Amino acid sequence: MAAEAGDGKPQPGRRPRSRLIVRLGALLVAHSVLVSVVCCIAGSIAFLLLPVLAKNTYVSENALMPGSANPMFSSHDVVEANRFLKEILDRGSAKVTGTEIAKLIGQHVVDVGAELYYHKFHPHGNQFHPLHFFSSITNTMEMQYNSSCTLFGLNSVGIIRAPRGDGKEAIVLVTPYNSQNIGQSEALSLGLAFSIFSLLSRVTWLAKDIVWLAADSRYGEYTAVDSWLKDYHNPLFLSNSGKIGTGVCFEENILHLLDQLKVKGPGYNIFKRAGTMAAALVFKVIEKKEKEERDSLTIYAEASNGQMPNLDLINIVHYLAVHRQGLRVKIGSMHSLLKAAWLKFVGEMLQLFGKLTKHLNPKWKFDITSAEYVEGTATLASSIYYQALGVPTGSHGAFRDYQVDAITLELSPRFSLNNENNRSAFLLRGGRLIEGVIRSVNNLLEKFHQSFFLYFLTAPHKFVSVGVYMIPFALLLAPLPIVSAALFSGNDNLGVSTEKVNQEPGCIGSSDTELRSGSWKWLQAAKVVFMIHLWAIIVSLLPYVLSQFPLTTPITLLLVWAALSICILLIFYLIFGACSTHCGWELLKSVMIAAASTGLSLMSVINFSTAQIGAMLIVPMCLLVQPLRKQMQAGVCRKAVLVICNLTIAVVGFPPVALLIAKGVCEDFGKAGVGAFWELAQLLWSWNSATYLYLLWIHLPCWVLCLHILLYPCIGRSSKA
Amino acid sequence: MATRDPVMTHWSRMFLLFLVLVPLTSSSPSSWATMHNNNWAVLVCTSRFWFNYRHMANTLSLYRTVKRLGIPDERIILMLADDMACNARNNYPAQVFNNENHQLNLYGDNVEVDYRGYEVTVENFLRVLTGRHDPAVPRSKRLLSDEGSHILLYMTGHGGDEFLKFQDSEELQSHDLADAVRQMKEKSRFKELLIMVDTCQAATLFSQLQSPGVLAIGSSMKGENSYSHHLDSNIGVSVVDRFTFYTLAFFEKLNMYSNASLRSLFNSYNPSLLMSTAYYRMDLYQRPSSEVPVTSFFGSVMKTVHTDAAYTGVSMPSEMEGSLFIEDGEHHRIMLENEPNQENLGNEEAKEVHCPYHAWLKTLQGRLDDTVADILLRYGFGTMILLLAISSWLSS
Repeated sequence: MAAEAGDGKPQPGRRPRSRLIVRLGALLVAHSVLVSVVCCIAGSIAFLLLPVLAKNTYVSENALMPGSANPMFSSHDVVEANRFLKEILDRGSAKVTGTEIAKLIGQHVVDVGAELYYHKFHPHGNQFHPLHFFSSITNTMEMQYNSSCTLFGLNSVGIIRAPRGDGKEAIVLVTPYNSQNIGQSEALSLGLAFSIFSLLSRVTWLAKDIVWLAADSRYGEYTAVDSWLKDYHNPLFLSNSGKIGTGVCFEENILHLLDQLKVKGPGYNIFKRAGTMAAALVFKVIEKKEKEERDSLTIYAEASNGQMPNLDLINIVHYLAVHRQGLRVKIGSMHSLLKAAWLKFVGEMLQLFGKLTKHLNPKWKFDITSAEYVEGTATLASSIYYQALGVPTGSHGAFRDYQVDAITLELSPRFSLNNENNRSAFLLRGGRLIEGVIRSVNNLLEKFHQSFFLYFLTAPHKFVSVGVYMIPFALLLAPLPIVSAALFSGNDNLGVSTEKVNQEPGCIGSSDTELRSGSWKWLQAAKVVFMIHLWAIIVSLLPYVLSQFPLTTPITLLLVWAALSICILLIFYLIFGACSTHCGWELLKSVMIAAASTGLSLMSVINFSTAQIGAMLIVPMCLLVQPLRKQMQAGVCRKAVLVICNLTIAVVGFPPVALLIAKGVCEDFGKAGVGAFWELAQLLWSWNSATYLYLLWIHLPCWVLCLHILLYPCIGRSSKA
Repeated sequence: MATRDPVMTHWSRMFLLFLVLVPLTSSSPSSWATMHNNNWAVLVCTSRFWFNYRHMANTLSLYRTVKRLGIPDERIILMLADDMACNARNNYPAQVFNNENHQLNLYGDNVEVDYRGYEVTVENFLRVLTGRHDPAVPRSKRLLSDEGSHILLYMTGHGGDEFLKFQDSEELQSHDLADAVRQMKEKSRFKELLIMVDTCQAATLFSQLQSPGVLAIGSSMKGENSYSHHLDSNIGVSVVDRFTFYTLAFFEKLNMYSNASLRSLFNSYNPSLLMSTAYYRMDLYQRPSSEVPVTSFFGSVMKTVHTDAAYTGVSMPSEMEGSLFIEDGEHHRIMLENEPNQENLGNEEAKEVHCPYHAWLKTLQGRLDDTVADILLRYGFGTMILLLAISSWLSS
């Protein structure tokens, strides 16, 4: 069109203008080094700024109205709790069987006019099921078939039907206790739960049913709660019970139990249900050694794969605990960070900066004190760590698998519980808090949906929402595709027109004939990357094979695992090694970066915290890596910096080392042994943590490829990496 | 309705007309429009859910007040979007309170809810106002006002700039309201209309009103929120809104004979107590507010005036006739209002006592022209022959 119009003056030099977005992309790709440096620095700064950007929490759902009603939990209920506590301790000291306390609970539940049943379950071991990631629903009956008959736990469950409710929804209270060795604090939490339960059986305002689960935690509280939830949500019909083959012993045990538990009332071995669960509260009393000036409440919220309960649930608990009952609310924080000098320094810098901005414009609110910043960062770090680990921090995690919002409340008294007065005051506070939370949840009309599900907590009343914490991650991830494209196009230009100046001169000497194989040579690189990923998948499945063999100690298991992995890697190299050096390291790096960025983006959807921590390790590794031989050609100073950076990152990027550091920062270096890695891996897969998949499917192959590039034979062929 | 009735029904109808002695007026309808002769109230609570307890309590309080001041139940359309009394969360089953002292149960024996639950929709609300109902809708659910009616329209719920939320799912916009009022005016469904709204930004809901005779009171101006008055910590919810609370406080001092003016109601709103600025729209209303007693909207007159419309011919539906008798019975009820032209009305009635006779003759004449004349003629002849026979027998 333009050529037709321009009659006499053809412009041979002028190319058709491409679209703006293409030109912008080309500009970014052309300046990929600058872009990646800027993005990485900005990402790191934004990450450090997260505690500053945290907002105060607020109750978002109108219907909740926490604290609008006067608590009905009175001293009368405290007396009842104390009486129950005494009875438990009397029975507990006898230590006859594990069912004494269950019987006592059952008797009392029936006495207040609620429904009762016992739920018998068998503990299940930590088995590796390669196909069970993301699908936690299995039938406990199958497990019972495998396990021996003598191992079982007994949950006691009481249900109050809301007198005028529609029976479609329920609120669940959980008190774990060890039926074989009950301590005073566990007995107290049972007493507290019972007094609340008996109060709720008398009130007129219930719209949802109340389920009290006294979970037998002799095989771990999570197991008890989880198997109850599984049976709650997967009804077992009589028609197929025969074919599952629950075993003769099961029936025998039940009959045997019935004799032991002489509780009045019909059908206490029939599983009863009470509608969908609106929310669940796991609460327990813990006596702490260090004494504080106030009774305190610790909230645990992290469930599997970094899922969190709705923020509103935490909000109402925090509001009622602080503003109604005067408790001190705590959430987990990394104590090692609290004393870190560098963090204090950053905090002081930010404080200074905040003052400066306030001086410039009083409307800007960046003011955060150094102490607040350090505390916020420590809490944030623990929040990210526990989300990234993907392992629930308590038995509330079992509820999240069924999309039920649940938290664990750990109440700790200020003084010793032996003092009668202190104990009563403590019980009154705890009872009123839990009653208030139940009344507030009772007001709900729908599931929790108003507030956030994706957030980090920096304090019990401060949170960083998804919109804010995505920014550092996005900034870290942004350079990857750009650098990948830059490497790819740089290599392409090199292949097509050799006279063009290459931006990164140096190791281009691999013979021209190989490079001239056309634009499809990236397939060679892709093949290498694919093979490494395939290897990683095989490595991730090895533990399933290993668990079939009778190897016991974690150290041997770990060593066998590592040895097998390396063997398979070597075999892969022997078979496909011939082609791995054909393609040139730039293309290999480009494809590797593309694979890593895809993996990271996918992971950020599944478990954001893992992706965030992973990005902080992988991104610098991917961006900096260059063959060592090429680095040798640079100047002395630059060479040293490059080599040191590369080696450090390569060491830190190795998943076991990264895990060791993470564990060391969070807990203690001393505990970590070689076998700990196996245990950690076992922990991850037994909790179906996606972090395991990330580490072995994305992080490990990326690290191996980086190592491969580091040891890349630049000129000619040499030995394999 | 339009089918021809048997002759005897017509005859009996005419006799009934004679018996009740209702004057057929020949005066122009415009003179009737100026006369206030009945009161209606439409009370609407538009929000659902337990935490909106106070909106239902507001509406029920108003309901109780207008009933106490004399508007009977059949002239109150009560719309409640949810049933708080029977909510499972209600600490006091089947009771609703508007004060934490729990002195007064608003949900006693005598509450007639006309539209409840999911019936309270924008559509039904507009149908009530404009009178465009499905034929199956019972009379008790209709606003049967006429050109002499004073209507109180009270609405409470959650609102915003130029809208009022219904049921958490729809909205009534200020245009909708203005349009409905305009239609009511066109259809002569009211003489004066007082719209009282207790929502956030209530004033904005009146911005599109144009029809004369409309008076509007809102709890807050644009950009202001309307707040609840207090929380009942036994029930666990707020039980009344500030604007309604102070409106009720004003009416508690009144009985059905008091002459407090609308101006005094307006002046009773204290912005610092309401925490919002009450808004009055007076420009469409002719009478000065200081001269209009509040009872002209919140109370009731029971003067029965029969309009032309009710007696257009004898082919009127039979159900309408039924209502005539009831209204006739209320002829001698005490009048709450000192209407200026009340005496004139009496005179007119006295003058026009003889009119029905003419009307009867006229109708008879009309009948003769009709096809029924055949039968009439036959009967007439029969009677004449009978009379002839009797007279001849008597004379012989």
